[in-house]
Amino acid sequence: MRRRTLPFILGFLAPAAMLYVGLVVWPLIQTFRLSLFTTSGLSTKVNYVGAKNFERLAADEAYRQTLSNGLWMLVVSGIFLIAGGVALAHLSVGNHRSARALRATILIPQVMSLVVVAILWMFLFNPSFGPVDAIVRLMRIEPPRSGWLGDPGTALPSVTAAFIWYALGFYALLFTAGLRQIPEEINEAAELDGARGWFRFRKITWPLLWSVKRIAVTYVVINVMNVFALVQIMTTGGPDRSSESLLTYLYEQGFRNSQFGYAATIAVANFMLAMILSLGVLFWFRRSPEVGRR
Amino acid sequence: MKILRGAIIALMVLAIVGPLVWVAMNSVKTNTELFGSPWSPPKVLAWDNFSRGWNEIGARSFVNSLIATVATLVFLLPIGAMAAYIFAKFPFPGRGTVYALFLGGMMFPNFLVAIPLVLLYRDLGLLNTMHGLVLAYVAYSLSFTIFVLTGFFQAIPEELREAAEIDGGSPSRTFWTVMFPLVRPGLVVVGIFNAIGLWNEYPLAMVLLSGENSTLPLGIASMAMAQNYRADWTGLFAATLIAMVPVLIVYLKFREQLQEAMVAGAVKG
Repeated sequence: MRRRTLPFILGFLAPAAMLYVGLVVWPLIQTFRLSLFTTSGLSTKVNYVGAKNFERLAADEAYRQTLSNGLWMLVVSGIFLIAGGVALAHLSVGNHRSARALRATILIPQVMSLVVVAILWMFLFNPSFGPVDAIVRLMRIEPPRSGWLGDPGTALPSVTAAFIWYALGFYALLFTAGLRQIPEEINEAAELDGARGWFRFRKITWPLLWSVKRIAVTYVVINVMNVFALVQIMTTGGPDRSSESLLTYLYEQGFRNSQFGYAATIAVANFMLAMILSLGVLFWFRRSPEVGRR
Repeated sequence: MKILRGAIIALMVLAIVGPLVWVAMNSVKTNTELFGSPWSPPKVLAWDNFSRGWNEIGARSFVNSLIATVATLVFLLPIGAMAAYIFAKFPFPGRGTVYALFLGGMMFPNFLVAIPLVLLYRDLGLLNTMHGLVLAYVAYSLSFTIFVLTGFFQAIPEELREAAEIDGGSPSRTFWTVMFPLVRPGLVVVGIFNAIGLWNEYPLAMVLLSGENSTLPLGIASMAMAQNYRADWTGLFAATLIAMVPVLIVYLKFREQLQEAMVAGAVKG
């Protein structure tokens, strides 16, 4: 490195580094520090309490409920998003008119604000004029009396449905890119060997998508842990916390109850959880199926 | 098989476009007509829904959203491009670590740091200000922006930079006169992608702004939550449409660039 380029390098990195360290990295460190303190209301006074917040969290029934809600949503939306994403990716290849129509529409929900998506689904689930009630009645099923979003048994599935509707296009796009990465020779060889349809998908395409599957699962974990606006607007976590998400609970503790220390503890726990889950995903899908195959 | 394929695609397209058409249809109905016949097209066009919806969310929040989006991009794109240029073209000791640190921001929800950020903003007097919001938006958009632009800079041949520097330009002059214009397709890709994300942003604005300063998502969110005690559904339909239309136009015009940004962020990440 020539000597005169060093000031240039530092100068060009400085604005980004200052903003990033000041407003992202530093608050992140502070979250960890704050998790060891309690704060009282809006005053700036803080008391060091050590691991007390974590003990409280471990015994917190409501937090446990948000974890189990999150796990439910992770599994259900994960299955729908990955199976649906792969299926739609297959349907959207090619130059047929229907394939082009699918490609043109599938990402529309992705560009809408989650606030708008939430309101849209409140309309759809509305007991007086919403189409969901009407469709369900056609199938001779009685919709829940207090509304889909007002019933503890259906609130979380309803929010999950809105989440899947919003996210599906992204996963379809992801798997479309994955299908394109499969070398043409493999597809040709499969064609020659007469491998078609479901058999070819199960034996060739699905295993070859391993790296995309890993990315997709990681994204499902991140996206589900990120769910906030949908729950906050559609149900505010209710009824009885049946649809509470990790972040709506954090928001409630931190900003509604002004318990900054405890909310930071929740944030740290969520952060750890995200790390563990991501590492788990990496480990689970750690290598290509082509390596070490007999 | 062909018929099945067509049917599934038709169902998917209907599931996405259907609700939007339905919102548009109901946004021009009267409240009585909405409850009486939510399925049929409107008989009379109640355009005043839009003026009610517009007044409710406030012209102010529309303008605020516009300011937040544009101002953020004005700072974000040059700052992000400068850093990306270094990561792509100037090896220095520890580059990999610094780069990884920058990209870490893409992996965790911003909301995890919301509490210290609010406390910091309170101490700095940045709470409830538009410039405070813009600063936070720039900081939280940097990871993705730098990541995508680094890829675009790497694609520019090294000889081009050397030629420009031999022609007597200082490194920073070379950047602003040659490299920054050359990377324009990348700037469009991240610009469009960020613009949509910023226009739609809700959680950060929610905790950093309050009262008279609000953005469009905050405005319609509070209107939606007020429906429980003061029902003006058709006004809300109209307001939802107002919030939706700008991004739909951008989507239709820049679909290719958006897809490129999404795939870049996902597959290589």
